[in-house]
Amino acid sequence: MSTVIRADGLTKRYNGTLAVAGVDLLVDEGEIHGLVGPNGAGKTTLLKMLATLLPPTAGDAEVAGASVRREPDSVRHVIGYMPDSFGVYDDMKVWEYLDFFGRCYGLPAARRRRMIGDLLELVDLADKREAYVQSLSRGMQQRLCLAHTLVHDPSVLLLDEPASGLDPRARVELRELLRELRTLGKTILISSHILPELEELCTSVAIIDRGQLLASGRMDEIEARLRAGAVLRARIVGQEPERAAASAFFIAQPDVASVDTLPDGTLELAFTGDEAAGAGLLARAIRAGHRIATFSRAASDLEELFLQVTAVEPAPVPSPRPERPGPPAGWGAGVR
Amino acid sequence: MTAAVARPTRFGRLRGGFSTLGSGIGAVVAKELRGRMRGRRAFAIVTVYLVLLSVFTWGIYEFQRQINAWRFAPGAFDPSFGGSLVPLSATVGQAIFSGLLVLETLLILVLAPALTSGAISLEREKQTLDLLVTTPLSRLALVVGKLVSALTYVVLLILASIPLSAIVFTFGGVGPEDIARAYLFLFAVAFGTGSIALFWSALLKRTQAATVITYLTVLGLTLGATVVYVFWFAMAQQASPGLFDDRTLTTRRPPEAVMWFNPFIGDLDLICGTSIAGIDPTCEMVNVVTGRSSPFATEPVPVGIEAAGDCPPNARCLPADGGAIGAPVKPGVDPFELLRDTFWPRSAIAFTSLGLILTLLSSRLVTPAVRRYRRFRR
Repeated sequence: MSTVIRADGLTKRYNGTLAVAGVDLLVDEGEIHGLVGPNGAGKTTLLKMLATLLPPTAGDAEVAGASVRREPDSVRHVIGYMPDSFGVYDDMKVWEYLDFFGRCYGLPAARRRRMIGDLLELVDLADKREAYVQSLSRGMQQRLCLAHTLVHDPSVLLLDEPASGLDPRARVELRELLRELRTLGKTILISSHILPELEELCTSVAIIDRGQLLASGRMDEIEARLRAGAVLRARIVGQEPERAAASAFFIAQPDVASVDTLPDGTLELAFTGDEAAGAGLLARAIRAGHRIATFSRAASDLEELFLQVTAVEPAPVPSPRPERPGPPAGWGAGVR
Repeated sequence: MTAAVARPTRFGRLRGGFSTLGSGIGAVVAKELRGRMRGRRAFAIVTVYLVLLSVFTWGIYEFQRQINAWRFAPGAFDPSFGGSLVPLSATVGQAIFSGLLVLETLLILVLAPALTSGAISLEREKQTLDLLVTTPLSRLALVVGKLVSALTYVVLLILASIPLSAIVFTFGGVGPEDIARAYLFLFAVAFGTGSIALFWSALLKRTQAATVITYLTVLGLTLGATVVYVFWFAMAQQASPGLFDDRTLTTRRPPEAVMWFNPFIGDLDLICGTSIAGIDPTCEMVNVVTGRSSPFATEPVPVGIEAAGDCPPNARCLPADGGAIGAPVKPGVDPFELLRDTFWPRSAIAFTSLGLILTLLSSRLVTPAVRRYRRFRR
């Protein structure tokens, strides 16, 4: 599988503030690569550099083999870019909107006509063909904007928070649409700060915070890498004395850093061992006579991944300027 | 079989570049005009404009008729008007021509900025610029397309007035070549004024600011330049040894270029072109600007005119080649020839050059909102 997006020390500095600090990123062909990070982490700046909207201060990136620095025109032909906030033109019908962008890419009239029909079918707006763009709902406008990124059949899609401001139903529809695009062979780099949204969609992720790339790779690879520091949960059959005995047993074991008792009585072990060590721990506990109803690794979802990765304080860098005014970083703020 | 890959020649690349630019401009123009000409608004504006213009034309006609009736009433004949030299109906034709020309110039100065000053800044405000900049559409194609579509509407309004302008032919006094000159000049003014608005729109973040500064610029170039000119002229007069000594005025007078961007001086020149032998107050004003002759000239009437009475005071009795004041008229020069094209062609060239420069500059300034904003904050 070939690499479609390759960022090499990509850096953007605004007035002495590092927004993106030397990001190295690899995205393989056909991936849906999630870019995760709190507000102001540098996701939008990174995407804008890849979309040739902003020149990098240092470093370079290649999209489908073309350098964003030296060959921005070539890059523009292979990417479809959807910004996080975008506007629509007044006095313009849905088909005219797509026709305009088709003309911008220099597509001949016959191909434009065909493309408009196909894309409106794809994003489920065929019945809105003659409607004015400003009369569409937010979800429809998002889908139309996504359709506009596809007019020239690009191989790479750069989508900045495509699901922001959508209701749950529209989100599900968008997710289905992106999956369909992946089956069409598109490589998609998608940013979001809403983790469940990405979790169900992405095949690989990159976690970015304060302009730095903290982790990147396929979902399962990152999980495996983090498995050495997992949280184990054990539910003990019995009342308080049995639980206290089990807790005393676990804390005495190697690889167990600490044991907490959750309100429902479940024991939560901070475990530093790998999967095999976990199995050994369970076997010893049973041999010791503890009655264990369930013993499991706490679900290692993207959210937890993110919390774990960002819990390690990165090298101090000047705090980047927020990408846009907004509420304080919700789930990211709790980490630090 | 191996196929030889033909490298495009320099000419081929150039042609390809022009073709891409052309299709980009076409895309923007089509999009803009679709929006602008949609619905009844655009056509309602044309209708109202033509109705107003018709009423104005009729007003001029009535006004000129009254003047002629008064001027040529028994016992009220005043030869100093030069009325005796001009057929009566021609004065009506010339008056209508003058009125329409000045009105349309005013219209361009008001309308061209209004249509263009949001060209780029609105794209920024509506957050549509990023979508455009990531397409292969060149920035030059974007600004030229915006300018062309805005000017197309202005040109539509100007062209819609042609049938009204053609009324002058029924009165005479104005030739088709005068009308053609006038329209050529108006197009140049529209291009220059539109590009001023385009430039501010590309430079500034807000359309409101761009509109205000554009109108201030236009006001500065017309009224401001005139004030500067008059002041400069007065200073030159002060400095001259004799109060009305023309020799000092010819060396210290303000340069004509100060007035190039005042389209009303070009209008005066075009109106002057319709008068016979340059006997018209408009010609006097143009002559002041171009320095062909001063209204304060006390020089002897140039050699070549038989009697001083043949050349009315302050009229152009100078050689056609604009020679030094007081120089003898070359034999064979007709002192009654039409005085034409002494100023407006240079003004039109100035407007066109300004338009070209500002359009190119604007294309350099089209950058996404974030980048511009930060640069401005610095």
